[in-house]
Amino acid sequence: MKILSKDKVERVLDKLAESAEVFVPLSRANSSGFYSWKTRNPEKEQLMLETLNVYLSPKNVGFPQTEKMYSIIQSGTEAQIKETFEDSSPRIIFGLRACDARAIRCLDDVFLTRGYEDSFYKARRDNMVLIGQACYEPGPNCFCQAMGVDPLEPEVDIVIRDCGDKGYIWETKTPKGEELTTSISNLLEEKELKAPEAKAFQTQVDYEGVAEKLKGMFEHPIWEDLSSNCQNCGICTYVCPSCHCFDIQVKSWGEEGYRFRCWDSCMYGEYTAEAGGGNPRPTTKERFRNRFLHKLEFFSERYGYPLCTGCGRCIVACPTGINIVNIINEVKEASVDV
Amino acid sequence: MKEISKKVKEIASRLLSEGQVDVFLAWEKGNQDYLTRPLVVRSAEEAERIVFDEYSIHNLSNYLLKFRDGNEKVGLVVKGCDSRGVIRLLEDNQFSRDRLYIVGVCCPGMKDPLKAIKRNSGLLQNIPDDDKADKCSNCAYPNPLIYDELLGSEQEPNVKGERQAKIQEIENMSPDERYEFFRENFERCIRCYACRQACVACNCRVCIFDEMRPQWVGRENNETDNMMYHLVRAYHMAGRCVECGECERVCPVDIPLMLINSKLAKDANEFFGPYEAGIKYEEGSKPALSVYRLDDPDEGFM
Ligand code: SF4
Ligand code: SF4
Ligand code: SF4
Ligand code: SF4
Ligand code: SF4
Repeated sequence: MKILSKDKVERVLDKLAESAEVFVPLSRANSSGFYSWKTRNPEKEQLMLETLNVYLSPKNVGFPQTEKMYSIIQSGTEAQIKETFEDSSPRIIFGLRACDARAIRCLDDVFLTRGYEDSFYKARRDNMVLIGQACYEPGPNCFCQAMGVDPLEPEVDIVIRDCGDKGYIWETKTPKGEELTTSISNLLEEKELKAPEAKAFQTQVDYEGVAEKLKGMFEHPIWEDLSSNCQNCGICTYVCPSCHCFDIQVKSWGEEGYRFRCWDSCMYGEYTAEAGGGNPRPTTKERFRNRFLHKLEFFSERYGYPLCTGCGRCIVACPTGINIVNIINEVKEASVDV
Repeated sequence: MKEISKKVKEIASRLLSEGQVDVFLAWEKGNQDYLTRPLVVRSAEEAERIVFDEYSIHNLSNYLLKFRDGNEKVGLVVKGCDSRGVIRLLEDNQFSRDRLYIVGVCCPGMKDPLKAIKRNSGLLQNIPDDDKADKCSNCAYPNPLIYDELLGSEQEPNVKGERQAKIQEIENMSPDERYEFFRENFERCIRCYACRQACVACNCRVCIFDEMRPQWVGRENNETDNMMYHLVRAYHMAGRCVECGECERVCPVDIPLMLINSKLAKDANEFFGPYEAGIKYEEGSKPALSVYRLDDPDEGFM
């Protein structure tokens, strides 16, 4: 089998960065996220391959928080598209975990299937290679397995498995991965290593039947209760690897301008504000309910698996201690009068 | 604190069963020792869940905004900083005093559950071992400034001066250095607006950042729009921020918002003072910079 020894990781990243933008888990200014390897400040920032995961997910890579779409120029009453900014430059995400890889599959399904292909997402995604890292030691807030994700088999092009000092097992899974592996094969070694034993999950939850049960719970009093301490701050949706709502807006000056899209959040009031002044989700309760129904019910109905991948980020980030695992448990326990 | 916790529970259950309040705002315990979280209680029975402990850091005055349009009477627990938030809402005419029952707690300093959960998450590095909240080492008013009932024994203010020293340092920078300092910090902002949502002084019904016609501040996550967001936020906080520290605490990317807020408080005091926001409530009192007068000495305001 192919092995990447630990002292060669940086060389591999340097090599890959020659022909693509490589996003790696990095610590940055008291936070952490997937940032371009080229922008790393080695004095201040560390590669975070050996901690569990990073705080800001890699969703930004395929679905940037702000993405310029096209520029317009006005002549008389007509507007013309001047330039379209589809960005298909090669990108690699290195070291993402199974939960985040599943989240990318969610985005793929949303943006590329069911009859409409989002050309901006497609341009980025077509030239993207995913190198995932298997998780042998789930963290205190991880519950991916309960959401149908196998932490040992991330859905990616290449999987690396941390075998301690001896290095990483390097497993190529797809033709895209083959190509990448060939390009750095001189930096890999050939030897046999044994992957570590997987440790047990500290957080257990039973999602079985939840999507089904939620169908009858839209008007359930549980939402009032569960949402009562939510501040609608939206952090949970911004740190979530699979939340993908966006807004399209315009900037213009004189006869020129451009359209861009930017992340939005169903936790915001403005999200459902209507032109006439109405709002179908007037309070925290409706917004909160939407987030959890989308995660746990609607997405499952449409795509056959939940939109929550069990990464646990929202649990860590919520300033008021709202925990999706508790919510799943409460839904399980709730009595529904028929 | 156990004693205080017990008393809060008793008070809540008394107020709710006697019908003196319809809702009581306090805290309950979450899944971990360090996870204390806000709780909205509506019956004496539910009041059993109430706790008050060293992680009861959230400023519950912000939650009053959820109830501002109703007639319900609301009881809540406030620490020193939170009590200034209540004064903010009263001065801003967002609540009437007679709808409130305020249980004040003299605060010995709090810990921040977010620090603890982040340290244990495996998602972040170098989070210090000490959960003590940053805002509590800059606390001039640990004792509630408005209350109907007071618990605990009076505490000494705890102002370590580190924040003021940092402000001084920034004041002494050249304009270019200062710009760079803020650019670097605001660049990280993900524009989630959590700082606004957690803020009791951000109580406008339609926030300027949500206005679409016209759209005052662009929604792009870039240097210009981020800068604009933070400038506007700062302007709107001058003379109004009660220094409860919630914005900085909840910020997911650790932007030092309290440096800005405290500088604004300092300037408001120097230019329009002596003035400190939300330290004394009198019927009809108004925060600095919120009064419109035809004979305003500064033409700019006319
Ligand atoms: S949720 Fe699963 S895949 Fe994600 S970091 Fe935790 S164990 Fe790994
Ligand atoms: S909802 Fe929470 S746990 Fe689920 S994928 Fe999003 S951030 Fe992770
Ligand atoms: S992070 Fe927590 S408080 Fe903020 S919107 Fe999400 S659930 Fe609500
Ligand atoms: S700006 Fe920050 S410190 Fe000031 S009142 Fe708002 S949340 Fe509290
Ligand atoms: S909470 Fe932090 S990241 Fe979010 S908008 Fe405020 S300053 Fe920016």
